[in-house]
Amino acid sequence: MKTLILSTSALALGLAASVSVANAQDRTLTISVYSFAQDAYKEALYDPFEEICGCELVIETGNSVERMAKIEANAADPVIDMAVISSHDALALAEQGLLAEIDTSALSSHDLLYPSAQDPLGNGMAVGYTFYASSIVYRSDLVTVESWADLLSPELAGQVALPNITGTQGPLTLMMLNAALDQDAGDFSPTIDSIGESADDIVTFYSRSSELAQLMLQEEVIAAPVGRFAWSRFQDTPFPFAWADPAEGQAGGMNVMIMTKDNGNEELALEFMDYWLSTEVQTRIANARIDSPANMDVEVSDEIAESLTYGADLINSLTILPPEDIIANRDAWVDQWNRTVIQ
Amino acid sequence: MRRAALPVALTGQAGMFENRREGLALALPAATFTLLVFLLPVAIFLSEAFRFEGSWSLQGYIQFFSEPLNQSVFFRTLRLGALVAFTSAIIGYAAAFCIVNLDGKARGQIFGLVVLPLMISPVARTYAWIVILGRTGIVNDTIVGLGLSDTPIRLLFTETAVFLGLLQLFLPLMIISLVSAMENLPRDVIPAARVLGANWFQVFTRIILPLTREGLVMGGTLVFTGALTAYITPAILGGSKVLMLETLLYQKVNVSNDFVSASVIAMILIVMSFSANLLLKRIATARR
Repeated sequence: MKTLILSTSALALGLAASVSVANAQDRTLTISVYSFAQDAYKEALYDPFEEICGCELVIETGNSVERMAKIEANAADPVIDMAVISSHDALALAEQGLLAEIDTSALSSHDLLYPSAQDPLGNGMAVGYTFYASSIVYRSDLVTVESWADLLSPELAGQVALPNITGTQGPLTLMMLNAALDQDAGDFSPTIDSIGESADDIVTFYSRSSELAQLMLQEEVIAAPVGRFAWSRFQDTPFPFAWADPAEGQAGGMNVMIMTKDNGNEELALEFMDYWLSTEVQTRIANARIDSPANMDVEVSDEIAESLTYGADLINSLTILPPEDIIANRDAWVDQWNRTVIQ
Repeated sequence: MRRAALPVALTGQAGMFENRREGLALALPAATFTLLVFLLPVAIFLSEAFRFEGSWSLQGYIQFFSEPLNQSVFFRTLRLGALVAFTSAIIGYAAAFCIVNLDGKARGQIFGLVVLPLMISPVARTYAWIVILGRTGIVNDTIVGLGLSDTPIRLLFTETAVFLGLLQLFLPLMIISLVSAMENLPRDVIPAARVLGANWFQVFTRIILPLTREGLVMGGTLVFTGALTAYITPAILGGSKVLMLETLLYQKVNVSNDFVSASVIAMILIVMSFSANLLLKRIATARR
């Protein structure tokens, strides 16, 4: 009998242990995020969430292409539960049927988001979590930038860098140059040709904002378009950098949260998204100058606001390039860019 | 001949081991590891270059070479690789001739200086060129200081910058190969040729070059294939304006997610490297 009891107890303990292991595994959420500011994100978002949910976050980082490729490659059995990505990349994944619809009733802060962030793709498959303005950073002691067209002016020849067409900033720069050069809003072709004609006067076509910051600190470049999220790289440096307010306005973009289809971890993914979008967390992330808030209730000091894309007035003034336009035209832009600019 | 007099490794007979299988078993873990984590993934990746719409095809190559951008990148890579190899051979012969004719201590010191850059990271060596070639760098300071130009001239993100970076990166390999070859040159051949009335050009073309061409082939192969497959230097000094095959390959994978084009480029690089090696070996073994 004693043996039987011991055996039964051991079996019960074993089952309990296996159940507890299974529970722990169930409470693991794999997220795919941009690789910048991960230490700050850990402090402001990941660690507090793990403490609250009693779960483990597995963080996968990389550029958009790498992360999208991983989601595509594992479509049948998703390894990523939730991801943050640009709105046009999200649309591309949605069109491939790789995303799940987000149950916004589970997001307590959903109504607090700016209206444009509540359903940015119009299909319920994404929620915006941050905005960014895109304008021109320049050396105010050497030059004044008042228009996007100044980037191609003789005064700045040989001292300007432009973002490569393949990055997020490339199409935004094309859109604003298009406006500055009075071209047809729907056709970037003449603008790409204009850049091609000035290609010898452009120092380089950068792919990462860190690359641009290095070139500007080395005084190779004195003006270049860049996203506001990179502005902190230019502050507190020995050079007087300024953020342009061009006559054509600033471009803007939004990064969104998405959930992969049939990942089996939807509940925890929604919990995490809800936490990230909350006023508390969005304020913490804004104060750490990581990302600009999409939550309208977030309040920050003027000093912090200066580093971010903050406030309804600014956000509503941004010129947004619709994600569907980027998806529809990107291949043609890249093709023409390679033929007339890079070559 | 008594075979026992030869080393075991050459005879192929088991000496330390009871039989041949024991020796092979020891090599099995390393061979399996190499097969699984290198050869197999590379073979799968490269096979993409021969797949098109689900069947075997050369369409990937046709599409690649039909793009004007790819053509210019291919020829730029070939041109810069050949130019770097040719220039390093010229500088390398002069340096190697000088080194082998120095006495013991000075020879060791100069040879040490040649080898020294190989102990420094290519990233650090390439970034040094940014300091030298930048708008506020030494070269531009000198040019403006001497009144040769009113404003700094553009040196970074040009083919010249990539050429200089690659030359500096791979020149030591050429010098080492040529020093090794020249050390085996019979000491009296050059004085003998001079006594018989040969000028220095004739000495080089008829004596030094034929007798050191194995070293030249070795150095040329290392420099040419190194220049073809270098990534850091073209990426930092050339950026997206001076694309080479290696930087284009990176873009195809990390920016465009285009693995077919990437595997085509990888295959082209492999073929170029092997072709260069075969060509140079053929030159080296050609009848004198």
